[in-house]
Amino acid sequence: MNAIVSIAKTTVGEAIRRRVLLVILLIGVLFLVVAPGLSVLTARQSYTVLTSFTLGVIQLTSAVIAIVLTVYLIPNEIERRTIYTILSKPVQRWQFLVGKFLGAVAALALMMTLMTVTMGLVFMIMRQGSGMEALGGLFRVPLMFFVQMSLLAAVAVFFSTFVSPIVNFFLSGGVYLVGTFFNPLFDTFSKNENLPAIVKGSATIIHMIVPNFANFNVQNQVINPGAVITNEATYYLQLVAYAVFYVLVFLIGGILVFDRREV
Amino acid sequence: MQVNRPKMVAGMVACLAAAAVLHGTMIFPFWRKNYAVKQVAGEQASGLSADQLLFALAGFRELVAGILWVRADSFFDEGNYDAILPIIRLVTWLDPHEIDVYATGMWHIGYNFTDEESRSDRRYIPSALALGKEGSAANPNTYELFFETGWMWYHKVDDDYDQAVKWWEQAAKRDDIQPARRNILASAYLRDGQPEKALGLYYDLLSRAESAFKKSDEFQNRQNRDTVESNMDNLLVRMSQRGYFAQKAGHFDQGDYDTKPPFDVGFSARVTVEEAAVLKIEGTWNVLPVGTRVRIVLRDKDMKGAKYAEMDWDASNAVNLDPDKEVTFMQDQLFVKNQQFTKRIDMSRDRTMYPFRSNDYVVEFYYNPRSAPAHIQDKFGFSGEGMTDQNFLNEEARPGQRVVYTKLEFTKDELLRKGRYAVGKEIPDKQTVNFKPLGAASKSDVIQVPGLRAEGPRTGPPTGAPAQKPKRLPIPGGGAMGRGPVAPGVQMNPK
Amino acid sequence: MSLAIETRNLFKTYKSRGGQSINVVHDLNLQVERGEIFGFLGPNGAGKTTTIKILLGIIYQTTGEAFVLDKEAGDIEAHRKLSYLPEKPYYYEHMTGLEIMEFYASLFGIKDRALCERLLERVNLANDKNRAISQYSKGMQQRVGLAQSLLNEPELIFLDEPTGGLDPIAHIEVRDLILQFREEGKTVFISSHELSDVERICDRVAIINKGEVVQQGSLDQLLAGGRLEVTASGVDQGFADALKKDDYVVSFSGDRLILDMPDDGDVNSVLEGVLAKKGTVVSVVPRRKRLEDLFLESVASDNVAKGRRLFKMTDKDAPQAEEKA
Repeated sequence: MNAIVSIAKTTVGEAIRRRVLLVILLIGVLFLVVAPGLSVLTARQSYTVLTSFTLGVIQLTSAVIAIVLTVYLIPNEIERRTIYTILSKPVQRWQFLVGKFLGAVAALALMMTLMTVTMGLVFMIMRQGSGMEALGGLFRVPLMFFVQMSLLAAVAVFFSTFVSPIVNFFLSGGVYLVGTFFNPLFDTFSKNENLPAIVKGSATIIHMIVPNFANFNVQNQVINPGAVITNEATYYLQLVAYAVFYVLVFLIGGILVFDRREV
Repeated sequence: MQVNRPKMVAGMVACLAAAAVLHGTMIFPFWRKNYAVKQVAGEQASGLSADQLLFALAGFRELVAGILWVRADSFFDEGNYDAILPIIRLVTWLDPHEIDVYATGMWHIGYNFTDEESRSDRRYIPSALALGKEGSAANPNTYELFFETGWMWYHKVDDDYDQAVKWWEQAAKRDDIQPARRNILASAYLRDGQPEKALGLYYDLLSRAESAFKKSDEFQNRQNRDTVESNMDNLLVRMSQRGYFAQKAGHFDQGDYDTKPPFDVGFSARVTVEEAAVLKIEGTWNVLPVGTRVRIVLRDKDMKGAKYAEMDWDASNAVNLDPDKEVTFMQDQLFVKNQQFTKRIDMSRDRTMYPFRSNDYVVEFYYNPRSAPAHIQDKFGFSGEGMTDQNFLNEEARPGQRVVYTKLEFTKDELLRKGRYAVGKEIPDKQTVNFKPLGAASKSDVIQVPGLRAEGPRTGPPTGAPAQKPKRLPIPGGGAMGRGPVAPGVQMNPK
Repeated sequence: MSLAIETRNLFKTYKSRGGQSINVVHDLNLQVERGEIFGFLGPNGAGKTTTIKILLGIIYQTTGEAFVLDKEAGDIEAHRKLSYLPEKPYYYEHMTGLEIMEFYASLFGIKDRALCERLLERVNLANDKNRAISQYSKGMQQRVGLAQSLLNEPELIFLDEPTGGLDPIAHIEVRDLILQFREEGKTVFISSHELSDVERICDRVAIINKGEVVQQGSLDQLLAGGRLEVTASGVDQGFADALKKDDYVVSFSGDRLILDMPDDGDVNSVLEGVLAKKGTVVSVVPRRKRLEDLFLESVASDNVAKGRRLFKMTDKDAPQAEEKA
């Protein structure tokens, strides 16, 4: 356990010094700060657009950070040969991998917190204190984004045990897009009554296996306060459980590959 | 090697199964119910560029929707209507809460596709209504799209008023509806032949308006209260004069009511195919003043979902931006002037709207007094009980209503002037049994249809009077009846 | 006492792009005794680092067995008692010397800042412990590496080119440190090119080439077969001629006779002969074989045969090597 925590800590220390990540983060924060200027687009729905845009910036930036951060985790260690000194210590490979993953998630949490706080400040200034109670609801969206990004990081960690960072970047990005697409796609698909049962059946199976990132996009209701959703808290708990299951799947898969891997 | 691989694989599979079960049984149904975009991209997504699509999926849905809508606006300015359709579809997909886009989209789809002579392409109306259904389902907490959908039934379809009633009743249930917009539901009740419901609504509206006025005596509240009151007064008088109360009470035969005896409109018509896809319509209608509109429909004889002089407007629940272009369906109005109508309908220049693929066609004529202005209805009654036609009175077309309906049949060759009907040969020409060359109809026999009067209904029409210009009654003023619009006198010419 | 390291018929085979199999390690059999300093020698690409990686469980052998401290290679329990200093080590550059020590300590479950500081002191980095690794010179980084390799009081230390790229003073310091390990009873496994170091430090060596052990044994054994130079005065030419046989080389320098003979020859009878002739024995000097010679004998032959002369050889050595081949 000690080893995992130590590895996670150094991973955070490294991540928050990675220039690429800081640049991406800076761009994200800049977008958040200029977001209020975009409300000219649609006067009537300025609040909607501002909220949607702000949350979108956080989500997109976080996704890019999650992927860029994670795809280099293992390859960098191998390239710099730091992994040799670590693996020659009484550290199991799975501990190394889990430590790296947890470090990435912690770094992600730090960066996402920064963006969320920026968003909070922007909204506070925009609304000048009024309607702040509605703002409370806003923060659960980045929270679910964080769960989503942790899952994405697990996907990237898994791939990083056997593909190069560039390939991994597109692979993980692809999984993220497909995972975001698949829910709505399957939604239409399942409503189409003309499809043969076998096609439908296999779609159902794929749908159950692919990590469905769209599940975590709970911003609709915050952006459109009209929607009434009951039992939201339960849903969030289910989401966390869902993410944990998938993280386990990808980490175990990663460990199985990494354990056999020659570094 | 330190890890127990079989156990780990088993653990992995177990986690995957757990995730799948959790997703399948709880998360996805919840997601579908609460977070899914109700209509999904499918082929429409092709209208988005890759980066837009990426942005849209990356969580910028509402932003992309906004940008697209700004672009759509410029297409409106250019009159590039076809370009707007996919944008409307996309915007409402991306952000199903863009009420303005639904409303504008409905109007655009329903009204803006026209031929060279400004006739709407009615094949689009089911899609416009479907957009209204979708929009109202996506935004159930605001009255707007219920109101807009009701308006499309009331104004554009201008028939089947039970639908307008249905939608406006829904709109009126929403708290955010503007008070003045509730009033219009009463008009829908009247056109749907339910004056008692209209009256009940007026009572309700009046008490609302009065309490609003008590709370604040600003001009708007006063005006609204006065309008409701005036409408209510008018309706009460109309119900009385049209014999509605008498019918209910069972002594209609004994009294003297405006709707007695039924007035024969004396419809006749003739259709000549002057050139390929160019019709000349002429005919008679015995109501003197300008303003009567007789509906004419030309359609495929075997058209799917066709009803009497209309199509099944409510047929679609999915917005289809590309309705069946094989179908020919033309609908227009014949304006009556001096008891006659003549109209040239040119369908030759818009072959996409009028493809003439079928071999057999019908030309339908239809008049529903419920669509008539209130002063005409004062004679014809709420459901046509004061109207008749010796040849073409029809009580099947719209159950519970008396309408005028007839049809003439044509072949493709006739309409397109081919074969033995080629130009220079035989001219296709069909008419109703009672058609006589125009000009023969006398303008002399004029009846007076009363306007609203404080002193009650006037007795029978003057008959046998010499030819004279239609006379207008002086508009009675004063009293509670004096407020609000008063129908002008109407003159009718009995057969 | 059991062996610290043992490999049996170890093979590591890679498939090349063309589909050919290349044996990077070929039927390797190593025996390293506990408490000895073992030199692991071989030219670049001979499979030294590959073997170390197998022994550490960083990569896996294709066939054969490898045991480290009585456990299978890569065993975590064994890792508690060994340490490894890779060739050209890299560390997380944002950390200070002390932080990196604490990080590695934590991997052993050790929380002991004083120990970390003591070890840094031992490698003369006490003054630089709070500077970031990125500001360290190469030698300083190597010394941090050594310090971290002592954190767990290892029984077995793997050193991959421990003196590579160090300045002379650092070089001597590192060498002395390794000698201290022997006194502490640690087993040290050194992979190196620095033959002079190895010759000075190691008890036993293995020389590998192309993945195969070509020589293995104690330095005394391996370097046996040296010569003796006997210098005597007061003997005549006749005596000298009598000595001439096999590879006994006799020459005169002034009136001094110089006899160059194998060290396993009968030196006593030679000395007795000199004394019997009333001559004087000036000196008897053993001329031990150098490790460099052995190394070249072991590996050069093959390379020369292929026309590749990877190692600089003196004119004197070259024909010797070729003769032996």
